[in-house]
Amino acid sequence: MLPQAAFHNTRGRVMHFKCIPALDRRRFLQGTAAAAMSASLGRGAWAQSKDPLKIGVTMPLTGSQAGYGNDFVIGMRQSLADLNDAGGVAGRPLELVVLDTQAEPALGINAMNRLTNVDKVPVILTAWSSVIKGQAPSANREKVLLINTGANAPEIANLGDFVYSTFPLADVDITALAKYTYDKLGKRKAAVLYINNDTGIDAAKIYKDVFEKAGGQVVAYEAYDPKATEFSGMLLKVRAANPDMVHVHGLIADVPMVIAQMRQLGLQQRISSYSAGYNQKLIDQLGPAAEGFIVTSLAPGAADNPRVPAFLERWKKEQNRLPNGLPYIQYQYDSVQMAAQLYKHVLENKQEPTGETMREALLAIKEFDSPMTGKTVIDGHRVRKPVFLLTVENGQFKPLAKLD
Amino acid sequence: MEYILTIMVLIAIFVILSSSYNLVIGYGGLATVAHPIFYALGAYTSALFAIHFGLPAVVCVLAGAMVAVAASILLALSALRVSGDYLLIASLGFQLGLLQVIKNFEFTGGPGGISAIPNTITGPWRTPAYLLICGGIAVLTVWLIARIVHGPYGRAIKAMRDEELAFSALGRNPITIKVVVFAIGCGIAGIAGGLYAFYFQYVSPDQFEVLQSAAMLTMVVLGGMGTTLGPAVGAVVLIAIPQAITFLNLPPAVMAPVQGIIFTSLVLLFLFLRPSGLVGPLSRNRMAGRTALQEQSEGAAE
Amino acid sequence: MTDPLVLLQILWTGAATSSIFVLLTIAFSLTHKVTGLWNFAQAGFMGIAFYAMFFVLSELQLPLIVALAAGAASAALASVLTEIFGLDVLRARKSGSLMFFIFTLILAQLIIYVLTLLFGTEPRTLYKSIMWPVRIVGSIAISNWDLQAVAIAIAMVTLLFLFLKTTREGQFLVAVSDNAKLAELYGISAKRAYRVTAVIAGLFICAAMYLAGTRGGVTPNSSFELVLAATIATLLGGMGRVFIGALAAVMLALIQSFSVLVISSRWQNLLLYGFLFVAITLFPRGINFRRLKSKPKAAASAPATVGKPADVAQST
Repeated sequence: MLPQAAFHNTRGRVMHFKCIPALDRRRFLQGTAAAAMSASLGRGAWAQSKDPLKIGVTMPLTGSQAGYGNDFVIGMRQSLADLNDAGGVAGRPLELVVLDTQAEPALGINAMNRLTNVDKVPVILTAWSSVIKGQAPSANREKVLLINTGANAPEIANLGDFVYSTFPLADVDITALAKYTYDKLGKRKAAVLYINNDTGIDAAKIYKDVFEKAGGQVVAYEAYDPKATEFSGMLLKVRAANPDMVHVHGLIADVPMVIAQMRQLGLQQRISSYSAGYNQKLIDQLGPAAEGFIVTSLAPGAADNPRVPAFLERWKKEQNRLPNGLPYIQYQYDSVQMAAQLYKHVLENKQEPTGETMREALLAIKEFDSPMTGKTVIDGHRVRKPVFLLTVENGQFKPLAKLD
Repeated sequence: MEYILTIMVLIAIFVILSSSYNLVIGYGGLATVAHPIFYALGAYTSALFAIHFGLPAVVCVLAGAMVAVAASILLALSALRVSGDYLLIASLGFQLGLLQVIKNFEFTGGPGGISAIPNTITGPWRTPAYLLICGGIAVLTVWLIARIVHGPYGRAIKAMRDEELAFSALGRNPITIKVVVFAIGCGIAGIAGGLYAFYFQYVSPDQFEVLQSAAMLTMVVLGGMGTTLGPAVGAVVLIAIPQAITFLNLPPAVMAPVQGIIFTSLVLLFLFLRPSGLVGPLSRNRMAGRTALQEQSEGAAE
Repeated sequence: MTDPLVLLQILWTGAATSSIFVLLTIAFSLTHKVTGLWNFAQAGFMGIAFYAMFFVLSELQLPLIVALAAGAASAALASVLTEIFGLDVLRARKSGSLMFFIFTLILAQLIIYVLTLLFGTEPRTLYKSIMWPVRIVGSIAISNWDLQAVAIAIAMVTLLFLFLKTTREGQFLVAVSDNAKLAELYGISAKRAYRVTAVIAGLFICAAMYLAGTRGGVTPNSSFELVLAATIATLLGGMGRVFIGALAAVMLALIQSFSVLVISSRWQNLLLYGFLFVAITLFPRGINFRRLKSKPKAAASAPATVGKPADVAQST
């Protein structure tokens, strides 16, 4: 409470000292603010001005999703390094405070509590639908800006005032894919197999609705347990239904097994999945069985964005391998850039960075120039972006289409 | 501060859980591992009542406890006829089966759980208020269980646990006592579930899996099974230590496995060095599984 | 969906896949038969076996035979060490079944955390590809993996059967499983029997993980699910009946596979647990093979049996 009051005082004073040269005014402000701060917090007088601007991050660093989670954080750190090399924001460096969620809601809530109450961050970047659903009540209660950078459950847009998504939600890419499958690929009978969790259930429903609305028929609609490893019963059911396209909405742990068993049971239909399938490991594990596999991507590739090859090169040099889910990581890079812009806006307006002011900044700026994913326009609590389709040709992912 | 208070709320809830679990396994001698499912039933019921019927929180929590009791009687009547290892696995099956059902129904939120449980206490004093409530109920629970166990009914429970054959030979029905003890323990767990639901405003099925069973079991055994304060101590230790480890500032990629390694190693160490638990007496007689006659033959007083 | 060819296909693929569970069930069930313990630490040994093989194959790039040897040796070693330094200590203290439950489960967790630290959590496969050549035999798709799985399972089951029936060591195991105290009186060492069992369990676990890892991705956490399935099959098979337990594993897998034809696939797991629960509660009042063997009941001052955990709610 005290720092708040101090700021109001200094803000009041600023009005009187407009004619004083900026440098002196700044030093005066620093002095008063620092004095107020040290009175309440006992800090050194100069500490405040160079205090890093903190951005909270909650990602799965361990657990089954850690492969993605850790790479997301690496992408964010690269973005952070770039920002700090360029001088930070208002002369202050930015800092990421990263905590592990294991993609579990309870841990996500805990991490969020810690970031909010111990590290006092005004904005938190997070991902994984179930985690965000768990964190949303806290965000709204404590008035901390919670930004989704990688999950795609459509309900994220309705989780409350302080929950926003800068990653396009499922309805965007699945809708585009289903329409493309009907219109351009000419498929009329689709089978939808999906993993029995939030992501799968919501996405499968969207695919079904869109495909049927376009005029097609969904001849098989099966959920499978996330821990299942034997799919022959389900796949034979699908085989009997005789689809001409199969959409498998699952994760990199199960999709290759489903496809392998499909092919071995004699199902030769073309298969599609969503962006989680855009992973070299899938091609490694399936070999020729992966030919023709279609995935969605919500970020531009090298052909559409010249910055991407450089990003990839840098990654390969620093990590000695390819990233897990390059398009997602592009969004992580951009999310830190966006957070920096929010801070910039807030500090330029002489406001204290709180969840509320950061949120106002988000809505005020509205259009962001995201270096890796193109322009980002905030539309309500979500964003709209073009969808890129890729397919496997000769053991490599190649661009297939761009849908706006 | 808020962060520490939240941890304390969690500790209070787990004190309630571990104490009630101790009633079932330590005093009642019923080897079940399904305690988390009654916790879950309490949490889910309270949440659903709050969301769909808009009843006051206390009513919802009590409804949760009632559902937990009903489920426990269901399990008890079918499985308590068997004992030992069988009961252990039967309760596991019950827990996992019920969880599968919860995960597959829309109205329980499916695998995603139930979020946006209405908030009951607003304002800056929310957490301290919750801490007071949960802490109060925790103290009440420990006291209540101590009263039951050290009273005349408690002696009956002990007799049933230690010498079931003799107990039935005397004309007492062990099944009745088992069901009652079980119902009380599980009802209390249901209350803890309700408290959790209202504080965190989010319940998901993943919180109630086998690992949670192991955690609760560890709290009781580590603290001292069959003692009054043991489970409470176990709850404090088992929640505080992992949290403390997170402050060691390890690199994120290794943080959780290292945390897990430190934690599980500590637990194993305790299991071997102080098997009767932190609160248990130094002699090993209090450990579960020893009958009164066995203890006598070792020459120790009961 | 009652096309006989479809049913036959499900039967074949389901049975072939169940080989993994057959091997794991035998490991679990044999351990329970001889030692009386539900050894959940086997979840940890599964991880050790898999990652040892993975390390040898992928990092060291050594041939398969070396990998298999490494996997078998490490799993067997871990199993025996747990026996000597963990389970024996608990037995000497006459700990209850809950104590054993916690110990084995926490040990499994510890092992899995260590494996997570070393190998991360991405799904790994033993070979780069999980595709196997398929041949169509009478309209049924039979993959080489299926054949290998069935062959390995049958071979190991047969070997175990012969071992238990014809060798002295095997006979000792049976003696100890029937009545350890009595066996000791005849000069058979129960401890030795437990260790031999631990080694056998390790071998079966390694075989199972080889099959699992050549079929799909494995993560450090995969083993918890697997051990649960083994538990259920052991129970359904009945205490002390290792080979019936193996059969139960096949039955369970087939029921799950076939059930998809009638119910939605997402209910498959529920079926499993439902089975477990019903099977247990329909057993006659606490039937316990150990109780049926002649054991001095009146002299209850003696501990139950050497090495068996004294159950919490059971009187001896």
